Amino acid sequence: MSGMLDGGVRLAAENGDDVEILDFLGAGGQGEVYRVRTPHGERALKWYYPTLATAEQEAIVRELVTRDFADDRFLWPEAFVPAHRGSFGYLMGLRPDRYKGLPALFRRQLRTSPRALLTACLYTVEAYQALHSRGIAYRDISWGNIFFDPDTGDVLVCDNDNAVVEGDASGISGTMEFMAPELVRADPGARPGTQSDLHSLAVLLFMLLMNHHPLKGRRELGIHCLDEAAERKLYGRSPLFVFDPADDANAPDPMEHATVLATWEAAAEKLRELFRRSFTIGLRDPAARVRESEWRDALRAVLDAVVECASCGRQNMTEPGENPPPRDCWGCGARLVLPPRLTVTTPPPRTEHHIRLRRAARVQAHHLLPEPARHDCSDAALVAELVEHPSKPGRFGLANRSRETWTGTRSDGTVQKIEPGQTVPLRSGLDLDLGGGVRAVVRAR
Amino acid sequence: MTLGVRRWETLAGSVQGVGKRRNQDWFDCRGTGSGDDPLVLAVADGHGSAVHARSALGARFAVDRFLPLAASFGRAAHDCHEPGRLTRLMTYARDDFPRALVHEWRQEALGHWDRNRPVVEEAAREPRPQEKLVLYGTTLIGAVLTPWLFVAWQIGDGDLAVVEHDGTLSRPLAPAEEDLGDETESLCGREAWLSVRMHWAPVFEEARAPRLVVLSTDGLSKSFASGDGYGEFVRGLAGRLAEKGLADVRETLPDWLAQASRYSGDDTTLAAALRPAETPLPAEAPAPSGTPAPGEISAPGEVPAPAEVSEEIPADAGAAAERTDGEADGDADMERKTET
Repeated sequence: MSGMLDGGVRLAAENGDDVEILDFLGAGGQGEVYRVRTPHGERALKWYYPTLATAEQEAIVRELVTRDFADDRFLWPEAFVPAHRGSFGYLMGLRPDRYKGLPALFRRQLRTSPRALLTACLYTVEAYQALHSRGIAYRDISWGNIFFDPDTGDVLVCDNDNAVVEGDASGISGTMEFMAPELVRADPGARPGTQSDLHSLAVLLFMLLMNHHPLKGRRELGIHCLDEAAERKLYGRSPLFVFDPADDANAPDPMEHATVLATWEAAAEKLRELFRRSFTIGLRDPAARVRESEWRDALRAVLDAVVECASCGRQNMTEPGENPPPRDCWGCGARLVLPPRLTVTTPPPRTEHHIRLRRAARVQAHHLLPEPARHDCSDAALVAELVEHPSKPGRFGLANRSRETWTGTRSDGTVQKIEPGQTVPLRSGLDLDLGGGVRAVVRAR
Repeated sequence: MTLGVRRWETLAGSVQGVGKRRNQDWFDCRGTGSGDDPLVLAVADGHGSAVHARSALGARFAVDRFLPLAASFGRAAHDCHEPGRLTRLMTYARDDFPRALVHEWRQEALGHWDRNRPVVEEAAREPRPQEKLVLYGTTLIGAVLTPWLFVAWQIGDGDLAVVEHDGTLSRPLAPAEEDLGDETESLCGREAWLSVRMHWAPVFEEARAPRLVVLSTDGLSKSFASGDGYGEFVRGLAGRLAEKGLADVRETLPDWLAQASRYSGDDTTLAAALRPAETPLPAEAPAPSGTPAPGEISAPGEVPAPAEVSEEIPADAGAAAERTDGEADGDADMERKTET
């Protein structure tokens, strides 16, 4: 077996568990990960490289273990495993197979969809928001930390041993690609924290959706092997967005950067706008960075506006809301035909959600709340979905998947009750009372 | 930590496939494996069909561009014990190195095309860069070894085999699913860097460094009738190296490659790095007497599986196999010695 520990080696975790090394799972930038057997079943053991097994890292891991952060979106350090042959580690849950890394996405090894990617982005934003709201800065957000389910968009944040309490001045790892420019430049007073995490988060979202780094345009082509000065310029001293509207000096190269040219073109303007802000003014002014709540609202709105191309069936992002500009399918070029729109109005402060009623469109529990704490696009939180009439193809209705009885009012004033499990035919002007002060209206455009 | 006192040793060779007009593989090894002089080795397999008419050159460009890039990366690893440095090296190896490699290979291939334009009618359209690159299509497997780091990259088919410190064999870059038929990923692909696979293995104790690292083009692995024939070959190679020494294996290698080439019908190239054992092999390592050495029982396919028999093998395969790369009808500068 390769790696620092041999199969069969037994270690003792500080919580008293006996830990037996089973398999080597992989090596990363800070250490290796093993599958291990414990009295509570199989777990993962992260084992630091000796050069990184510092007292400082040990203190971070011990602090995180005591925090006992119970959140299914994170593989959190669960037990410290003390020194053995010059290093130490910690136990965490094993990553289920359904979660895949971003490198596989960038290499086109995954079958996924724009909806799954947008959902993954939304969940990623909420995961980091959950950390930040507890006063924890992640400090090392990068594409190596995030794993996602290409079918559902569920995310799992790994390598959480880099999270620290906000204000902690501990050093961070060495990759510049995700670091905020002020940290790359080592500006006086600049410290890793939630503000710098916002830059890293924007880079990560850009990479998830565009499959490319936002600052790697023509300028990167001239950088030689580990040329630190050049990289500091690219990411710190004079970072320039590849789609900077005022300066095309770092624009994508048509041959080397074909992917980002295509993915940017296919993205909704609402998201492009936020990326432009993140990577123009946001590079210079940390206070102007896009906040998690802004990302969350924009991502949810765009997710609700994804439609299938009638010609080729591919999923396309469209602009949320009424009367979006016409758009052609990114795949086949056909003009997209927009399905009707369901406007869901929440109780005060009366937020409006616009859901394009594409085939199998869904209303989720988070659509009923003005400020949902967490989005859930799974069946567990399903409220309504668009279904086709079983014997009349082409006729659609909204099926009530909630526990509430709805009241529907047609445009002619007739009223009907829709019990859980029942379906109401889709008609323009249909006004639904979904209970709890939530109203939904079907509109043609 | 005192690592890298002893230097790695290498052996390498290439044999032209039977019935092939020229050897479209290329290989090279340089360096000792010290911090200042990393050991870098690479093999490449030009695709060889008419649409890849210049792939022998493409393979050579790939190896020639890889070696200095990887050596430079290896030298940059000298300070890998500093905080954050390993993370940075790993992200560079994973994300940036493949892009730099592909970029450099493209520059080399497009530059060659410009200097060696085909004779065409005046009105003919200038081919697009991508079309030019297809002419040079090739695979590549390359590795860098320093006292602190073993990193390898691969695009396309071929094999990287590692005999670990405890004698276990691993193939860390083997794809989850084999390429179908003759289709393979290539340096000439549209975003080729996305197809580059990377193996990352920092070394903290010299005694736990790999014992043997073997890079080979698919002409070798295709020559075995059974699925694990290639693995047996590498285990046997390690055993024979331990038992009879490097000089003996160097002498025999051309025969093994010729034999492999006869069965696969393909150019066959191998480059290997050997870490001299400080002490006798541990008991759990495959015993040389118990594991058949290459050229003996586990030599390339005694009975090739039907699917592995290339149509290019002439009826008199034995006679054709005697044509080694030294007899290739290609450019003189494409000929290679079979040892480094």
